[in-house]
Parts: sequence; C-alpha cells; structure tokens
Amino acid sequence: MYIVVVGAGAAGFYVASLLSKEKQEITVVEQDEEAAEQVRRALDVGVVIGNAAIPRVLWQAEVQRADLLVAVTGTDETNMITCFMAKELGAKKTIARVRNPEYSGYMLVGGKSPYATRKVVRPRSLGVDLFVNPEIEAAREIVSILSGLYVTPMEEFADGRVQLREFKAESAAVVGKRLLDIPFPRPCVVVMMEHGDELSVPSGDERVQKGDRLYLVATRKDMDELGAVFEVPRRSPRTVIVFGGGTIGFHVAESLEKRGIQVKLIEKSPSRAQEIGSKLKHTVVIQGGRPDRDLLVDEGLAHSDAFVAATGDESLNILAGLVAKGVGVSRNIVVVDEPEYIALAEAVGVDVAMSPLLVCGSRIAHYVLHGGAVSVALLGKEDAQVIEFLVGPNARISKCSVGELDWPKHAAIGAIVRGETVIAPTDATTLEPGDTVIVAALLDEIPNVERLFKAP
Amino acid sequence: MSIRIVLKYLGLVLAIVGALLSFPLFWSVAIARDGAHVSFIVPMVIALLGGLSLFRYIPQERRSLSRREGLALVTCTWVGCSLVGALPYVISGTLPGFVDAFFETMSGFTTTGATVMTSIGHQPPSILLWRNFSQWIGGMGIITFFVALFPMLGIGAARLFEAEMPGPQKERLRARIMDTARALWILYVALSLVEFGLLWVVGRIPFYDAMNITFGTMPTGGFLHLADSLAAYVDSPFVTTVVTFFMLAAGVNFALYFYALRRRRLGDLLGNPEFRLYIGIFVVCAGAVTLDLMGRSGMPIGQALQHATFQVASIQTTTGFATTDFDLWPSLSRGLLLALMIVGACAGSTGGGLKVVRLLVVVKYAFRQVVAAFSPRSVMPLKIGGETVAAATVAAITGMAILYVLALVGGFLFMSALGLDAVTAFSAVAATLGNVGPGLGAVGPVQHYAFIPASGKLVLSGLMLVGRLEFVTAMALVSPSFWHWR
Repeated sequence: MYIVVVGAGAAGFYVASLLSKEKQEITVVEQDEEAAEQVRRALDVGVVIGNAAIPRVLWQAEVQRADLLVAVTGTDETNMITCFMAKELGAKKTIARVRNPEYSGYMLVGGKSPYATRKVVRPRSLGVDLFVNPEIEAAREIVSILSGLYVTPMEEFADGRVQLREFKAESAAVVGKRLLDIPFPRPCVVVMMEHGDELSVPSGDERVQKGDRLYLVATRKDMDELGAVFEVPRRSPRTVIVFGGGTIGFHVAESLEKRGIQVKLIEKSPSRAQEIGSKLKHTVVIQGGRPDRDLLVDEGLAHSDAFVAATGDESLNILAGLVAKGVGVSRNIVVVDEPEYIALAEAVGVDVAMSPLLVCGSRIAHYVLHGGAVSVALLGKEDAQVIEFLVGPNARISKCSVGELDWPKHAAIGAIVRGETVIAPTDATTLEPGDTVIVAALLDEIPNVERLFKAP
Repeated sequence: MSIRIVLKYLGLVLAIVGALLSFPLFWSVAIARDGAHVSFIVPMVIALLGGLSLFRYIPQERRSLSRREGLALVTCTWVGCSLVGALPYVISGTLPGFVDAFFETMSGFTTTGATVMTSIGHQPPSILLWRNFSQWIGGMGIITFFVALFPMLGIGAARLFEAEMPGPQKERLRARIMDTARALWILYVALSLVEFGLLWVVGRIPFYDAMNITFGTMPTGGFLHLADSLAAYVDSPFVTTVVTFFMLAAGVNFALYFYALRRRRLGDLLGNPEFRLYIGIFVVCAGAVTLDLMGRSGMPIGQALQHATFQVASIQTTTGFATTDFDLWPSLSRGLLLALMIVGACAGSTGGGLKVVRLLVVVKYAFRQVVAAFSPRSVMPLKIGGETVAAATVAAITGMAILYVLALVGGFLFMSALGLDAVTAFSAVAATLGNVGPGLGAVGPVQHYAFIPASGKLVLSGLMLVGRLEFVTAMALVSPSFWHWR
C-alpha cells in the first residue's frame, strides 16, 4: 500500500513511523527542511520537501498512485485543500486532521448520546474521507475514562458484543497468582499481559505480579463483573476539576455537565474564560493560570473525584496532575503532546497520561491497515494489535479446532463470535466459516496470523 | 554499540559472498575444467558455514541498527568480503602471498582494477572470472545488494545504504530503501546485459571475452582476463566504441536514469548540471589529448581520436582499461589523465574519484570567497542547476575534498618513503584512492603493483577502501570518539 503523509510535525512523524513499522510504502511531504531531514534520518520513508497544497509537490510525491493520503499539517485549511487536490489528482482515500470542529461537523450535541455527530458539510464533497480531530478524540476518550469504572478505556469488537479492556493487577485476588488460578467469575481470555514494557501472550502458568497490565477479552455484559476481580469499584465521579479551557478541556466539561456531573473549569485567559462561561450552563469557570496549590485547594480540589489537566502546556499538565495527586484526588488524567511523555508521566505518579496524537494515530492506523472493514486496536506502546477477523470458507483455519491449529506463538484468540453467541475459545472449539474471531498478536506475528485466515 | 548485532549481519553478508562464489566454481567445474574448483569450494564452505552460523546463533534484537552499528557493518563487510574473496587466489597459488591476494580482492570489490598479477595470461580462467566478477559485485555495492535482498532491517537499511552509496546527496529513488536498492541493481543488471548483448551478439566476440569485458566496464572496474588490457581489441572500432560508451554510461548518476525512465523525459538527464559538466570535461579533455597526440606524437587523426576518447573515458570514469600504453604519451596528455584520476565520475555512479559534483561545489565555493574579498556584504547562495545547495552540504563537501587532498599527500609521502619515484608514488596513490587502477610510471597501464612492498600494498588497499566508501564511513571506525561513547 502506498501512503502519502503530509506534514512531519509530531503527528505526521508518529503516523509515518507507526505505518512504516507495518512495512507500508510511505512518502512524507514537509515544507520545513529541518523537519524533513529529521524524518529522512529516522524513518525508512521517502521525503518530498514543499507545500503539499501545490499540485506540483503532490505530483512529486506521486500522489496519483497513492492508496491513501493523510494530511496532518498544523493548519486545518492546508489539510483540507491538500486532500481536495490529492483526490483530484487520483488519490484513492484521504484523511485530514482538522482541529476546528466547525469544519468537519464534529459537534458534540445534546440528546441521548453525547457522542452523536452532526455533519455540517458532507466531507466527501471536500475530498476528505475521514476527519480526525485529535483534541475531540482525546476529549471523548477522557470522558469515557471518567464515566467508566476503569482506569483505561475499552475497545469494542463484533458490533459491541465483545469488549477488550485493560486492567492493572493490584487487588489481592489477582497479584501473585497463576493465571489459571484467578477466580474469574465469568468466561474470559487474557490475550496479552504487559510486564514492565514487555507485552507478551501469557501462558496459564504465568504468575501475575503487582502492576502488570492484563488485557481481557470477554462479552460486554460480563465485563463489569470481571472488573470487580481487579479493583474495588469506584463510584462514578460527581465533581471534576478541569484545568485548561482549550478544545479538549471545553469538550470534556461540556460532555460531563450533560451527564449531570459538577464541573469546575480553570482557564488562564480572561477572554476565553468569559467565552466558556457563556457557552456552558452549569460549569463553574475560574480564571487562573498556574497550578497553584492554594488556588486548587481553595476551589475544592481535595473534594473532587477527578482532575483533568488539559492546558496546551504538557509539562504544566503533568505538574498539575502531581499536585492533584498530592492533595489526594483519586483519579487524575493529564494530556501530553509527545507520545514519549506518557511513560514518563505515569512513572512519576500520574494515573493516566494520554496523547491526542496517539489517539489520532491509532485511529488513522486503524483506517489504513484494515480498510475499516474490521476493527483494530493497538495495545501497549503500539507493539501489539487486536484484530477482528472473519473466517472465510476457504481459509486455512476454517473447520479446524483451536487445539489442532499450528497457531503462532505470539498471538492469542480472544473470542469467537458465531451469530449472536460469543464463545470463549477452548482447545475443542471448532472454527466455522462465517465466524468472527478476535485475535491479539504482537506486530511481528500479524502476517503469520493473517496467513491462517487466507486460502491455502 | 553492540558488536554482536554487527557480527550477526556480517555473517549474512559473508554467506551471500559464499553463495556468489558458486559462479566461478560452476565455471571451473562445468565449462573451463581448469581444476581450480578446490580454491572456490574451501572459501565457499568457510563463508557459508561461518556466516550462517553467526547469523543463526546470535540472537535477534528487537530494534534496528544504530548509526554506529551501520557504519561498522559497512566497513567490516568490505574488509571481511575481501578477506574471504582473497582465499581463491591463495589456495590456487595464483598469487604468492595473502597480502597480494587481499590487495587484488580489495582492488576488485572497490572496482579499482590495480593488479599485482604478473602473468595474467597463464592463470586458470575461473580464477580470472572470479577476479572480474568480484568487481562487478562491488560496482553497485555489496551492501546495496544485501539491502535489496533482505527486508528485515527497517531504518537500519537506510543507514547502511547511505554509508555505502557514493556522492554527497543520498537520494531515495523510491519511498522505501529496499525498493531503491532494487531499482539501482535492476538498472545496473539491465545496462550490463545490454552491453554484453551488444558485444556478444552484434560485435561477435567470444562469450567469455564479452562477459569479462562487461564485468570490467559496468562497475568501472578495469580488471580484464587479457594480458594487456583491451589492446587486443584495438583494431575493432566497434568494441572500443561500445566499451567507451558504457564506461561513460556507468560514470553517470544512476538516479538520473531512474528519473528519466520513470518520467519518460530525457531532459531530466541531459539538463542535469553534473551530467553536463561530466560530458563537458570528457569532450574538452578528449579533444586536448587528440591534438596533443597529433602534434607531439605525430599520430594520424583517426587513431589519435580513437585512443584519446577511449583513454580519457577510461580514466575519467575511473575504469582503467587501456588500449595502448598511455604512459608513453606526451606530458600534457599524461598530466590530463592524472588530473582526471582525481576528479573522477559523477556522484551516485559506479565510478570513483572525488566526483564531478563535488568539484563543481568546491570551485564555486572558492570563487565566492574571492568575491567576498571585495564585496563582503553580498549574499551569494551556492546554486547548482537553479537549486541552492544547503550550507551544511557545502561544508560536508568541502570537508570531504580536504580529506581527499590530505589522503593524496599523505599516501604520496608514504609511497615516496618506500622508495618509489615521484610520478609512480603520486599516480599510484591517485589511482588507488580514485579506484582507477593503472597509474603512470612504474605502475603504468602495462605494469603492475607487484613490486611494491607489503606495507605499501596494505596502505594502498586501505586507500581503495577509503576511496570507495568516501572517507566518512571507513574513517568513522578509526576515530577515537566513535569508540569512546558507544
């Protein structure tokens, strides 16, 4: 697959490196020579220097034979024009990063679902097949973290019948036990285990250590019960302090207040604070800049259930998160730009650090690698993927039982969905054509798994 | 830096060389029946077993090669391949000692063509075939071949490729380095096949001759299986013309062919400033030598033109073929040839030398300093073909040119210390550093390097390597800070 990535900023670089690991053919178009040089040095991709909104430059990047163009420069307008040009020149699909929600129809509206989107313009008429808004995506993820029981979000497969969730081993029911001995109340499969930085497919004999992350696949209705094994259920937050009133902070506050949660939002710029204050009904807007301990404590930080740091300054966010941790807020979520900072922030004590770029990258990678036909989730530091496969009638794997398969070492079947039923696989389970199989695998192993689902 | 990972991939490269030895082995057993097969089987077994076990038993690391490891691997590859490739000469007894054999192999892989073989006519054909085949492999690069074959290196492959590729700008013709390496090798093989076909089918010269001449021309190597280079074909204007054309073609940046083919526009090739200067130098020098030969040596115009064009092309592209003993030519001609040895061919070609584009940049840069003397405030971006060359690139090119001159002078002094006369010493250094082959005086086209003491041969081998890898790659390993901060 030939992919043109426009813009070699943090997002473009991240997307290009993610996709080049997958051995795709990639060309990066970047205007700034220094940034281009950086890409040339670090990645095995082609580099074209120039403004991608100009057809000549796109031509040079051979956009006419591109299967996909990803426009992630800093400017919405450039991204959209680039997509438009690329489509005109013959690119098959386009993705644009557009921050301004007014352009893409990415609007959080009221009603039953806070996530329903209203299309302002039909994106296809702009030549854009997929709008990705990293801030909005990040805001959605933050809200889903806060509204659920769990520290990190889940991924859904097979139209939501199957869920994948990440749990941290901290409770006594789990730590120190062999996987086989953990008293799971419901059938489930631990597809991956993350110990330190190392992701692996665990065997039943493996002992769980404190702080390990376990990736569980189970049906949606069983998931809550399974979660109880890992953690004492936390009550849903009633009061949340959001630090920073940018796009992310604003959208988080907006969706939380619609769920009846009391939100306090702290914003530095007086005019922006005014603006937010007039847009949001129930949110208390406070104007203040520094993560001042006194300010935060005065505003009732100690009594709030969660703290979200989402200013434009990532180091400030991490520091604010630590202050919150220090006063005893049970859940703090900070936003960082650099994906590399996630590990750093979590190492110093932040509960959840998230990067809009990572969210944006995994969304684009999802779209690219599997054509949107099957769901894909990235695990850990994007070292592993969970993929949904459909068993074809001619597949190698069809009519085989799980036990007799020559199954790759670094991959695991999480669940098999047959019609409406979800089957937790055992060695005796036979795969039938038409089954949906949810597989977790390390990146290097994915071709071997894919081979099994192809005709021999 | 992990030595293990370097050894792991070095094992794989050596195994490739082992596999390539099967070609002369096949020739020895099936066609020539010259009894030299043992001298190929032994190094083959050593390279394949040793190389594959290194690769097999050193565990895989889940990361790509670092920059240091890349540089170390490229240099080790060239030295290691020359050590293995030297074994056939030693075992068959073709060359007296290991140093001689190493010199000969290094000269082959680096496409230099400087020989220590004193009686080429009496050697087994398969040994001579290996000698010629080694330069054909080295022409487009062992590492490039390796990168084209194995997709497992990721960005490490790009680092390897760029460490081996000659020229200041390492262009990626295709988005992925593996595809780039493949495209270059395909172009190289295609051009070789065209030349071979012309010589064999149209020129009706023997198969073995056509093959060996191609193996000498396309990598701009210079080794031949014939005792006095191409002098045997001096009466065949077709052969000399074809060889002249392909020598010149091999000295052009292969990226230009790629773009010209891909965009189906010849203008991209003809309009390239380096290409134009390269052809310009060829025309001017060939003209000057022709006039010199007519005036000073009294040669008839046809003969003078034939010898002059062939010899200028041969030396300028750093091939080193000879149709006649040009050391007997008048001094202007000899001087021009010596100067051409230093200038060399185009960047990104199979030729050696300083490279035309570097000369262009250095000269422009120097003249800008003159202008700056009377107009210090003038802004003068250095442009080539309408495109500004980045200051960092200019600095890198200047640095490389200075290193080149230093190596010339240093090598010259060393060879003089060994007792060589000035012309021999200087031309020997220029001819090995520029990967040309024959020099002037005692190392002239009808002479050889056999008389030089072992220490001199080792230094010249080092110069060939440094010239082929364009200093930075090979010299990184001898720089103290390379090892200090690993």
